[in-house]
Amino acid sequence: MRPILLAGHERALTQIRYNRDGDLIFSVSKDQVICVWFSHNGERLGTYRGHQGAIWTIDIDPTSTLLASGSADNTIRLWEIKTGKLLKTWDFPTAVKRVEFSEDGTKLLGVTEKRMGHLGTIVVLDIKPDVDAEQADEKALTIVCQESKATVAGWSYLSKYIIAGHEDGSVSQYDAKTGDLIYNLPIHELNQPITDLQWSHDRTYFITASKDKTAKLITAKDLEVLKTYTADTPLNSATITPKKDFVILGGGQAAMDVTTTAARQGKFEARFYHKIFEDEIGRVRGHFGPLNTVAADPTGKGYASGGEDGYVRVHHFDKGYYDFMYEVERERANKLAQAQAQAGTATA
Amino acid sequence: EDAERISSADVAVVEARRRLLNEWYAWRESIEEEVDEERAALGLPDPEELLRKKAEEIEKARAAAADAEKAEEEIVE
Repeated sequence: MRPILLAGHERALTQIRYNRDGDLIFSVSKDQVICVWFSHNGERLGTYRGHQGAIWTIDIDPTSTLLASGSADNTIRLWEIKTGKLLKTWDFPTAVKRVEFSEDGTKLLGVTEKRMGHLGTIVVLDIKPDVDAEQADEKALTIVCQESKATVAGWSYLSKYIIAGHEDGSVSQYDAKTGDLIYNLPIHELNQPITDLQWSHDRTYFITASKDKTAKLITAKDLEVLKTYTADTPLNSATITPKKDFVILGGGQAAMDVTTTAARQGKFEARFYHKIFEDEIGRVRGHFGPLNTVAADPTGKGYASGGEDGYVRVHHFDKGYYDFMYEVERERANKLAQAQAQAGTATA
Repeated sequence: EDAERISSADVAVVEARRRLLNEWYAWRESIEEEVDEERAALGLPDPEELLRKKAEEIEKARAAAADAEKAEEEIVE
């Protein structure tokens, strides 16, 4: 599984996202530039320039038409992916730490930072999925986080709920139409911030990563914790792989906390766990600093990680990855195959 | 005796995994069914459908562009 090294950013990566087709990788960094790359060969297609501060977050609409970005320059920007044209800028009083499109691309949420005189909020913007349309200035909804600021947030299946992870380690479920808080549960260790929230393909469950060194698999419907993955380092990111039942976690101690030799040897690892059995099954080394972001290709072909070291590493899975199965998984696959074969002869 | 103890421990592990796997797929089945019903009731499109439509549009535009080019060539002749 030899990685492709994408060396285009000059500072720490903050978020990586694949488009739905899995052919493009979008990356953002503290260097104020958005990059887009071909996932199969790592060739850079282009950049989107205009932000005046570190870019914290990015998302792509389901048809790969529009790109949204959120930055320390207190703006959310909407871009046309194909031409790189800036379509719209929304201004906020504080930095934007997370953006995410709803499943149909007609809504965009943004998580705004808390600062003296400003509580953290989750804002919702109506999006017209048309590059020639005039986008609305007004927010469709604002959720104010009174208790603990949101660090990450996203849309559930059917855009029914907005789910947020908070600085205090709790997870909230809001009614996405009214903004009413339905649940707020202490999911991670108290006051250990939630650093990432990524969805399953159908948005019925998600994975959170936390500084408490665990990642958790949680249902969107009632915030039930299904699985817990325990690491030995604070986590910055977690992602769910399609096709295989794995999750990938990324993190690591900040450079000042580790010996320089370890850092020099590229020992920072992406960790693979079995999604259902919760066992750690492997690690991939390579980064020279903590992993800030990991993303799984939605088509199941590979994954990408972005580091504090400024590099994006793209991995394409090899045969061994696809062949790897627990005994009970093989047993189940065989049973299904048998049942299918029988059904086939019955209808023939 | 040792071998027996080990194998019974192995059996327990495998049994536990089998249970976890079955629980997982039972939950997947029930939630997928529930979401499908809700989606149909709300009349919301499947996100995959959006993608297919978009792909069709692009294909149509490409075909139209190719036709226009062909027509232009004919005029030149």
